[in-house]
Amino acid sequence: MAGKWQLRDREAERAIFSGRLFVASVVCLVLFVILLINLFNLQVMQHEYFSSRADGNRLHSQYVAPSRGLIFDSAGALLADNQPIFNLTVVREQVPDLDASLALVGELIDLSIDDLTSFKTRSERNRVPFASVPLRYILSEEEKARIAVNGHRLPGFSIESQFVRHYPFDKLNAHALGYVAEINQSELDGFDEARRESYGGSNHIGKTGIERTYEELLHGQVGYEIVEKNNRGQVMRRLDRTDPVAGADLTLFLQNELQTVANQALGENRGAVVAIEPSTGGILAMISKPGFDPNLFVTGISRAEYSQLVTDEVNTPLFDRSTNPYPPASTVKPFIGLGGLALEVIDKDFTIDDPGYFRLPGVSYRWGDYTLRTAIGGGHGLTDLKKAIYQSCDTFFYDLGNRMGIEQIHDFMSLFGFGQNFALDVPYARTGVLPSRNWKSQTRGEPWYPGDTINSSIGQGYMWATPLQLATATAILANRGEVVEPRMLKAIDGISYSPSAEKSVSPLKIAQEHLSYVEDAMTMVVHRPFSDVFRDYGTAYEAIAMKDPEMEYEIAGKSGSAQVVSIAQNILQSADIDTSDLNKDHALFVAYGPARHPSIDPQIAVAVFVENGEQGSSVAGPIAKAVIDEYLLEILSIDFGLINNSLPEELSQR
Amino acid sequence: MNKDFVRQAKDPFGNNEKNANWWNVLHVDPPLMISVCLLCCFGLFVLFSASGSDIDIVRRQAFTMFLGLVVMFLVAQLPPSFFRRWAPSIYFFGLGLLIVVLIIGVETNGAKSWLDLPGLPSFQPSELMKFVVPMSVAWHLGTRPIPPKFRHVFWSCMIIVLPALLVVLQNDMGTALMIVMSGVFVILLAGIQWKLVFSAIFAVIFASPVWYLFVALPHQKSRILTFFDPYRDPTGAGYNIIQSQIAIGSGGVYGKGYGNGAQSHLDFIPESNTDFIMAVLAEEFGLLGVAMLIFLYSSVLIRAGYISLRARDSFGRLLAGSVSLVFFLYIFVNMAMVSGLLPVIGLPLPLISRGGTSVVTLFVGFGLLMSVHTHSKTVVI
Repeated sequence: MAGKWQLRDREAERAIFSGRLFVASVVCLVLFVILLINLFNLQVMQHEYFSSRADGNRLHSQYVAPSRGLIFDSAGALLADNQPIFNLTVVREQVPDLDASLALVGELIDLSIDDLTSFKTRSERNRVPFASVPLRYILSEEEKARIAVNGHRLPGFSIESQFVRHYPFDKLNAHALGYVAEINQSELDGFDEARRESYGGSNHIGKTGIERTYEELLHGQVGYEIVEKNNRGQVMRRLDRTDPVAGADLTLFLQNELQTVANQALGENRGAVVAIEPSTGGILAMISKPGFDPNLFVTGISRAEYSQLVTDEVNTPLFDRSTNPYPPASTVKPFIGLGGLALEVIDKDFTIDDPGYFRLPGVSYRWGDYTLRTAIGGGHGLTDLKKAIYQSCDTFFYDLGNRMGIEQIHDFMSLFGFGQNFALDVPYARTGVLPSRNWKSQTRGEPWYPGDTINSSIGQGYMWATPLQLATATAILANRGEVVEPRMLKAIDGISYSPSAEKSVSPLKIAQEHLSYVEDAMTMVVHRPFSDVFRDYGTAYEAIAMKDPEMEYEIAGKSGSAQVVSIAQNILQSADIDTSDLNKDHALFVAYGPARHPSIDPQIAVAVFVENGEQGSSVAGPIAKAVIDEYLLEILSIDFGLINNSLPEELSQR
Repeated sequence: MNKDFVRQAKDPFGNNEKNANWWNVLHVDPPLMISVCLLCCFGLFVLFSASGSDIDIVRRQAFTMFLGLVVMFLVAQLPPSFFRRWAPSIYFFGLGLLIVVLIIGVETNGAKSWLDLPGLPSFQPSELMKFVVPMSVAWHLGTRPIPPKFRHVFWSCMIIVLPALLVVLQNDMGTALMIVMSGVFVILLAGIQWKLVFSAIFAVIFASPVWYLFVALPHQKSRILTFFDPYRDPTGAGYNIIQSQIAIGSGGVYGKGYGNGAQSHLDFIPESNTDFIMAVLAEEFGLLGVAMLIFLYSSVLIRAGYISLRARDSFGRLLAGSVSLVFFLYIFVNMAMVSGLLPVIGLPLPLISRGGTSVVTLFVGFGLLMSVHTHSKTVVI
């Protein structure tokens, strides 16, 4: 090799190496300086920026959901409370293979397709990174155990406890209370910024009934906390916390026991009962049957359960019969009669000779008396207003209606809340129809015919009213013309709640003698016994007063039997549904008590509606009686000491 | 403290010159030894915080370092002439190991670089090549007059490229790059003409776009793109570097204090025990802490440079010089990568990052330095 024999200049070699090492040292020095300049830039010049970035990494502000206000009935029974449930939740960011994990969960516990689809929508809505999304609500103890044992195979899955709405009386108060359910996207879209923030920690919102009406009171104020989270989103420390303010506890006028009695009295019937305290307007009972279990909606009703509720087109359990309109039929007669007296169209001595039908002058068509359809024929003979009410004589009211004209009927009836919603906090109640010339031309584009007035004067034709409206009108009658505005809310957090003192409707100016006259007539509906005189008994005597000869008080009432207007085509054509019962009349009864009492004002006004109940007096009447009994007997015995009910033994021994 | 202990401890350090011969007999260089030990202590200290106060990890690392010291001591016992004589044999033995790895190696993190032989702790032959290659090049050039002739440079390049290619086949680009650089340092230090150096640099500059467009693998391209703009994929490819920069920047001048690094303790910094441990240091001890580390590294580097200058022959000079520069390259590449000056390459921070083979390899280097220094004083060729 060439180098072997070449003379080596060791000093020159050392010099070359030293030079190269010097260059290398300079390069190293320069690189270190560059490094330090870069660090200086990061740690000194941009320190502020990176500090805030670091805080942004670890500090998270999260919402703390307030606990929803409780709902009590007026006796203090809990109608809606919050109960802990255990949910399986998922943090998407922590699941390496979601599909595989979901498959595994499906092997461990029951996981329906509904659960999966709603999980998907939930995880797409309102996405916050590392938020836990519920997959399955209400795990049983066994399911909890199975998930816990396999926890190591399910990263990102955890069991979280949560307080959710619970309705202990499930079906009973379903329509009046309503229910809460998960907030949906369109509701969120409708919120303004502040409102959306206040729902930051909540999944639920009131959807119907009281839960919806008083959503803002019940919801409370959202709390906040600042937490330190690690890279996997686990909370390591709580740094600051603003406690949420729990929603207000609401006390309603509703009486759970009265609800129970009304519910039982309705039996298997479809229908509604509304009871109102005339002096306050407090809604004591509001039942719609059939009901539904509101608890199903809280944690997400399954498709099968929901379709079962909505496809039942005859029973329509989700349909609130207490606030939806039906033809009020003969129950409007006391009001129209009172109108006749008050407007001086007729007087107490006015009579007609009833042939059993009515003819408009110059018209051959005969309006028959529906109440006599099945009876012997002929009419009521000589009939005044009182008899027309307790015998429910259609012909008299055809005649009276014809004399008053639709405008007078409309104006007078509207004072009792027909065609309007007098209720202060039942905003979802329908207003029904109180027809007039304007109404017909505006909604139908047709002129008003005289025959329309005839139909309206017995509460048929275009006239529609809800059971709530009928109860309201009856309460106004019981209140002797003082306007009653029905309301559900009695107290907030135990403090009695009174709505603004100014009534939106001015009190009626009706002579007391007219009111007394109508009260007499309505009392006769219930209490006028059979006699030798042909057709001279109260229509509800047999069903109410005759059955309870020792009644401690009198009831003023009026029955009604409304013709079924139409049955939906799809129901008629359905082979599964027996339509024979659906043609039957709707049975109605309005009543208040005690009537004509020397010292006690009427305490309760009731409207009963029984779908296809056929007979107002015999089907709806006893239901009203049962409700009034339940409420009144206790008040009479305790507050007024009028009934000598000996105290139960255990009480008297104290 | 025990008076005897203080006296004993003081003596060897206080009277360095007087005991110089004694250290030479042991073949230990006290200044280098002290600097390295200080670095090790500092490294364990940082690792304790970075590992989330996991004393087991620190204990294992301390044991590895102790093992390294033993290896260093053993290597230092062998004179440079031994390495010069056996360099070709060691080189071919190393090549053989690399081929064996390709056949029966164990794959971790995508690189098939581990050799798991029965009866031996598993290790990476490619790590050893970081010293075997400069040793071989130093043998090739150092036994001939320098500056080297062109054909010697050519053969040196062959010596470098062969093992580097085998390591590339293992899919370990980072190590291959370090092996190439360790050999290139020898050629540079041997006095290769600047003309050749600059032509090589220009060749690399012009070749790099070609490499990027036609040769580079997708994950390599993504690393390059991420280097230029970490925020193009802030939760994916850019995540490491963004979080590491946040940690460094939020540390400020004085740091957040030992154990208070939120970025590392809340697991925002990936690889906080290994490649990205500098971010933990910078977050908790600030710029001063990093300056302190650079100072400690510099003391090692200066001593290593001094040793290379004082070496008696070309082989020792080139070997010691290249070992020093490889050590520097480790430090610089890691720090520059963590602070965003270079694309992410998987290289540990010497003596601070947790590691096994890489730590022992470093001590082999220190052992070589000590061998060059202590033997050259007693043995004259």
